Amino acid sequence: MNAITNAVQRRCGELGVTGVFVLAFAIVAAVYFVSAPLVMMLASAFRGPDDLLPFESGADWTLDHFTEVYFNPLLYQETIPQTLSFGIGAVAVAFITAFTLAWLVERTDIPGRNIIFTFILFPLLIPTVILAIAWIFMFGPNAGWVNVAIRSFLNMDGSGPINIFTMGGLIVAQGASLTPFVFLLLAAALRSMNPSLEEASVASGASPLETFFKVTIPVLRPGILAPLILAGLIAIEQFELPLIIGMPARINVFSIRIFFELNPDDQLPIYGRAAALAIPFLFFGFALLLLYNYLVKQADSFVTVTGKGYRPARFALGKWKWPALAFATTYILFAALLPALVLIWISFFGYETPTLANLSKFSHSAYAELFQEQRFYSAVGNTFLVATLSASILVIIGAMISWIVVRSKMWGRNILDFFSFVSIGIPSVIAGFAAMILYLSIPIGIYGTVWVLVLAYCYRLAVTTRLSRAGLMQLHRELEEASYASGGSWLTTIRRVVLPLMGPSLMASFILLFIVGFREFTVPLILQSEENMVLSVILWRLFENGEAAKSAAVATLIMALVIPVIFFMRKIFLPKEDMR
Amino acid sequence: MLTVTGLTKTFQTSEGPAQAVKGVDFKISEGEFYTLLGPSGCGKTTTLRCIAGLEKPDDGQIKIEGRLVADPSRRMFIPTHERDIGMVFQSYAIWPHLDVFDNVGYPLKVRRRRQSKTEIEDRVIEALSLVGMEDLAHRPSTKLSGGQQQRVALARALIHRPKLLLLDEPLSNLDAKLREQMRIELEDMVSRIAITTLYVTHDQSEALSMSDRIAVMSEGLIVQEGTPREVYNQPNGNFVAAFLGNANFITAAVLKQSPNGIGHLKLNDEVGQLQLSLPDQFKTGEIVEIVVRPENIRVNQIQPLDLTNVLEGKIERIDFQGGQSEFFVRVGSLLLRSVVGGATDATPGAQTWLTIDANQCAVFTKKNIDNADAT
Repeated sequence: MNAITNAVQRRCGELGVTGVFVLAFAIVAAVYFVSAPLVMMLASAFRGPDDLLPFESGADWTLDHFTEVYFNPLLYQETIPQTLSFGIGAVAVAFITAFTLAWLVERTDIPGRNIIFTFILFPLLIPTVILAIAWIFMFGPNAGWVNVAIRSFLNMDGSGPINIFTMGGLIVAQGASLTPFVFLLLAAALRSMNPSLEEASVASGASPLETFFKVTIPVLRPGILAPLILAGLIAIEQFELPLIIGMPARINVFSIRIFFELNPDDQLPIYGRAAALAIPFLFFGFALLLLYNYLVKQADSFVTVTGKGYRPARFALGKWKWPALAFATTYILFAALLPALVLIWISFFGYETPTLANLSKFSHSAYAELFQEQRFYSAVGNTFLVATLSASILVIIGAMISWIVVRSKMWGRNILDFFSFVSIGIPSVIAGFAAMILYLSIPIGIYGTVWVLVLAYCYRLAVTTRLSRAGLMQLHRELEEASYASGGSWLTTIRRVVLPLMGPSLMASFILLFIVGFREFTVPLILQSEENMVLSVILWRLFENGEAAKSAAVATLIMALVIPVIFFMRKIFLPKEDMR
Repeated sequence: MLTVTGLTKTFQTSEGPAQAVKGVDFKISEGEFYTLLGPSGCGKTTTLRCIAGLEKPDDGQIKIEGRLVADPSRRMFIPTHERDIGMVFQSYAIWPHLDVFDNVGYPLKVRRRRQSKTEIEDRVIEALSLVGMEDLAHRPSTKLSGGQQQRVALARALIHRPKLLLLDEPLSNLDAKLREQMRIELEDMVSRIAITTLYVTHDQSEALSMSDRIAVMSEGLIVQEGTPREVYNQPNGNFVAAFLGNANFITAAVLKQSPNGIGHLKLNDEVGQLQLSLPDQFKTGEIVEIVVRPENIRVNQIQPLDLTNVLEGKIERIDFQGGQSEFFVRVGSLLLRSVVGGATDATPGAQTWLTIDANQCAVFTKKNIDNADAT
């Protein structure tokens, strides 16, 4: 008996040469993908002059970029206040909408729960660029469909009454596009709450309303605040909507400022200035992340003993059923259904108003033109190639990293864990920009190719390490030890026991990362060349050039690709109604 | 005190409607400790939750202290917070955002009978000392062990002096040793304050040791109701017999009924005869099933003088279990279990004579075997 335990311990201790090699490779890759671009960016903030790459000959150390950026009053008069009001406003809109929806779907008897759940996933899966363009078609002050409809209904002239190109419009749009993500987190928090906690309150004599305020909300507080912080982090790093909706409204949030230092109208990119701008932005993100981490730990300590999982009795809405249904329908209508319909219509009918009479003007010329363009095909290929490859690389590295963190006793594994987690806090503008400087500076000739996109996408380590860590924690250590005891080496054990058993969580992180890669817009926009264009970038370029029907056609094709995925994702996210 | 009549409840599940409670009737009198006992899925927890008002029954009536609290036929339903109950949940449901003191004081605060702060304080301390937790009043509830959470849950359920205490498998989340200790404490406390208690459990030893009366439930119905002794020694069918502990099932035919109420029964395969008190409804020639608990079979190593109710057999196996020994004795095609106290010098393979205690046998018609599924 003792001999076996000793053998097991020895085997666990000895990873073997291959094992050490595999793990070392994973660590190096993880550290490289997250930190190399950032280090290069940090350095470039202190290198000048403006028109040179940070380590080109002739460049030297300087603080000029900081003085230029931080002595500019515009930063304090416009960028910072606008970023803050944009971020706070969008989070508030997203949070109120998402919490109401999550509570309705998870805790009440609202009819059509599953349908509502499915439609809420839609805005999460399609590229935000698509939503932005659809909303402009709907709420543009002059030709926006909704405005046209309101004007004709109220017999009004001129433009408006709704103008999406305002801070208010931008905030609502960003809030609506953030809602699904916050919804999923809040729904999970609501679902994981032990329903007995509320039942104990009513059994103690508290009314349902009192219970909601004295028990439900306080118990959920850490679980609610954590998604709130995360949503804030995502909101301030957002780029698509500020670019497409905010720019015409002359709103310059941080991410847009950085982008414009890189793409000034009249001169060469000023890397140093962009980097100087990015640094505090990055640290602000990390600070939010630490706060998030703290809140999540607090939420975990709130997990109490659970019973046999009695399904919580749903709150009967009664006469409130119709207002509730109207709320959910309104969100779905404006965030999923109408954008999809508008884009489909425009792809076939151009700017014609949607009337029965205009049905005769149907034309598929936008599609026909699109299908003749070589760059459309290469964009489709690039999109899938980059999304698949980066997701695969990240899933493998993530699985190895989480094995080290959960199972090994390696020194510094907690640092590694934190390191991979921190990658959530990197705004995509900065990720794109940092990759740009890095791969422009190292002469391996991949800048401008799709490969630079694959490498640049690989900084999103947090998604996969978090998911596979959760998967690994559920695997009992003895399952691995049984393999060692049967004579399996470390690599055999990982290959034949650990990875197959982690299958579902690896699959989930692959799908998630694939979708993230598929939706990605900012990084490929910053790194774009004629050769490595992806679908979201093509879509935006077509829209910018006034080719509305063609951009709508691209959007329609993307949606057609995404809709099957929704039904797949639904299975992952939708809770099973448990039987008693 | 508590009257439940014709209670039914159906749940809609992904596999269609499932009737959890199919018409349950029972009455609990003042101060009684009444237990619903049954395997998981038998409807006992659903019944308790209907009484608490956490589920709405589909049909039937529930009266607490003569006050009608649920009657679907009259669209009558008093919500949980307006029922005078105290409840302990299986998961204890201690609120993690409140400390021990605030958890226990909660029912007083929400029930708005004008009370001064010191009054509430006194009551909380009183309730906490009842469960031996007065020293931990200001401990955060996330720092409590399972047993401590259980005590807090109990103090919280009792603090407003409810008329009816509902306990939903309160011991099932504790480990074996602590469970035993908490069971004794709970029993003492409940009898000390003499509160009417409805207890739900799947553990027959808890039910037998704590209850004044037990209702054994199966598939949404009460199968048998009675004192612990009645349901244990006089089960009315295989289900109750098997669910309440180890039992020997002996199939036999009725030979004749004596006028004094003693029936003569012939065992299968001619392995012996038994004389037991037999109710009149059994006819000569009828096939019956006899249930005998292992402790009601005595093992004799030498042939007894009186051979009434003695079966001859061979010892197949002896399990020494510390305080007792369990014999497995082959009698024809039957394998009978017998439990005797302490160790024994008998050896497997030896000839033996089993004396069946005729007063501790239950007899029922054989057909009951069809719905026995708890073995």
